[in-house]
Amino acid sequence: MNGTSPVLSRRTLLKAGLLTVPVLAGGRMLSACLSSPADASAMAAEPLPEPLAYDPSAHAWVFVCDATKCIGCGFCVEACKAENDVPIEPECNRTWVERHTIAEDGSVVVESPHGGIDGFPPASPREDGVGARAGEAYFVPRLCMQCDAPPCVSVCPVSATYKTEDGVVLVDASKCIGCGYCIVACPYGARYIVPAGEDLPGGYPGVADKCTFCYHRTTNGLGPACAQVCPVGARTFGDLNDPSSPVVELLQDPRIRIMKPEQGTEPRVYYLGLESEVS
Amino acid sequence: MAVHVTTQELAGVPRAVYGAVRVEVVSQPRALKIWLAFLTGLCLLGAAAALIALPPGWEVFGTSPSFEWGILITGYVFFAVTTSGLCLASSLGTVFGIERFMPFEKRHAILALLCLVTAFGIIALDLHFPVRMVFGAVFSPSPFSPMWWMGVFYGVYLVFLLVEVASMFTNHYTIHRISCVCSSITAVFAPLTLGAVFAVLAARPFWHGALTPPYMILSAFLSGTALLGIVFWGVHRFRLTDYERAATIALPAARFLLLIALGATLVLLTMKLVTGLQSAIPGLADATAALVSGPLALPFWVIRVGLGLVVPLVLLMLPRTRTPDGILAASILAFVGLAADRALFVHAGQLVPTTAASGVVSFPFAEYAPTLVELSIIVAAGAFVALAYTLAERFLDMSPHLGHSQPTEVEVTVFVPAEGVL
Repeated sequence: MNGTSPVLSRRTLLKAGLLTVPVLAGGRMLSACLSSPADASAMAAEPLPEPLAYDPSAHAWVFVCDATKCIGCGFCVEACKAENDVPIEPECNRTWVERHTIAEDGSVVVESPHGGIDGFPPASPREDGVGARAGEAYFVPRLCMQCDAPPCVSVCPVSATYKTEDGVVLVDASKCIGCGYCIVACPYGARYIVPAGEDLPGGYPGVADKCTFCYHRTTNGLGPACAQVCPVGARTFGDLNDPSSPVVELLQDPRIRIMKPEQGTEPRVYYLGLESEVS
Repeated sequence: MAVHVTTQELAGVPRAVYGAVRVEVVSQPRALKIWLAFLTGLCLLGAAAALIALPPGWEVFGTSPSFEWGILITGYVFFAVTTSGLCLASSLGTVFGIERFMPFEKRHAILALLCLVTAFGIIALDLHFPVRMVFGAVFSPSPFSPMWWMGVFYGVYLVFLLVEVASMFTNHYTIHRISCVCSSITAVFAPLTLGAVFAVLAARPFWHGALTPPYMILSAFLSGTALLGIVFWGVHRFRLTDYERAATIALPAARFLLLIALGATLVLLTMKLVTGLQSAIPGLADATAALVSGPLALPFWVIRVGLGLVVPLVLLMLPRTRTPDGILAASILAFVGLAADRALFVHAGQLVPTTAASGVVSFPFAEYAPTLVELSIIVAAGAFVALAYTLAERFLDMSPHLGHSQPTEVEVTVFVPAEGVL
């Protein structure tokens, strides 16, 4: 399958260290990378520490996405796919980036070619040309909202999807029956079925999959891969129970918002600079 | 008593079976042979498709994360709801004792059983781990999930139906009557929970809401009655067992029930459309508009509303078409309209994407087209019900069940004490 070699090459690239990131991403990215501890190469080279005695009840994980910082480079998508063995298929993403373009006629064009893994074309691909001459455009990082009132958990007929004490929604792949109910129940489109035929180290073809905040990393003292590789610090992960966590300060910002509040899902992913057109 | 069979006799069994089948096939009328061959061909086609679709063959389906439930879910809903409708229609006679709805109970029950088995077969092919589902539902139950309750009710319903059919053919009257009541009660709850599977999904505004479960029950009643109209016409036309009452009682009863169900469905559908179009809930107005004037408008207005509701109503009301053939036409149209309704319902609910479709630009509507494998399975499912029912008519004793039939001299002698219960 052709799709195999790109996965390997990307993974190799990441594991060798994304040293070309600063060069490619320009001055702003350069400064962000130099000042940020979330360095991609550091993440790749960083060995997993010995398993800690992890107490889920002592943590309350949250995630803050800053839409004003995101540049749509797609490194987060690539890192996620490599870290979590996410299938290369464009419709299978644990995290993805959308570009929202407000056209001159006021309409909003939402696009996410291949989840934004390869970045975005300069103009909207919409055939009628709407959005091509954009009045305004911005990028929105997307991932599972790890809701506190998750519809995916309540609808699962076999309790394969569950919520941990630290606030993360997980899927027990050994229980999932692949009915797709959680996928249609998710208001954020954050889930997919792992395709058959994928040669995945820990993959279970046919079951639902989604972002876990890189639970295997966070429970070992590391952050999610996407947050660590983000060259501009648009993704911040932290513990609400830790007063020194950067998310505590970010959540004090009056611009903080959640996505689709009318759904009543109480997301643990917050947004800064989210426009009202985003849903 | 022990039965001793010699090796020589055993060796002769296949030959005897072959001979019996051959005689049976040759003795059939030509038209029936063609009908059975046609249905068998479709079933074989579906069997091949099912083999392809067996896990992990779900890749051959046209579904995607932005359109997760395809035509197999449509088929499942269609057959599962129809089986409830059959039971609801028959319960008017079997449970409530209304005489004009009493006859042909065996046919109700057999059709309901076949439809339910077919529905289970379809959903098993759609699920990626059907066996795991059975164990998961028992050992890892989720009482907050409508899908779990749906599985419970339809599972229990299957048991009651099996008991009902078995007791009917073995003349165990008391067991039969109890199983009739139980299956009728379950037949109400099962489509209610099926409706709730869709109705609880706030993420899908077109499905979400209090109107969905009652709409599911009402359409269940309509589809069950329409199927009975088709079957009763067949009984009348081909002079099958007890055909006299098909024309005098069953077909008029089916016409009456169809009229009520069609009228009520038209009212409820109008309510759904009006509230949907005027809704401020994000996505609901878009999905309803897609149905009324968007990409789904043609099948909606032509098949669902025109052929599926309006024309059958006219056929049933006009004096000239109040004939067995008119009722057949109305029943077929209503049945086809309901099949379209199921497909449109499942489709419209997923049309408005919840995001930019998890990586795929699909704006403004999510896209889905069933594959040949999916279509073959659905066609074969219908063919299986028709084939199995035809064989049941041919080989089973469809004469009135003693418990509910009009009493003959012999029956009066046997069942006089029980008659009052009815």
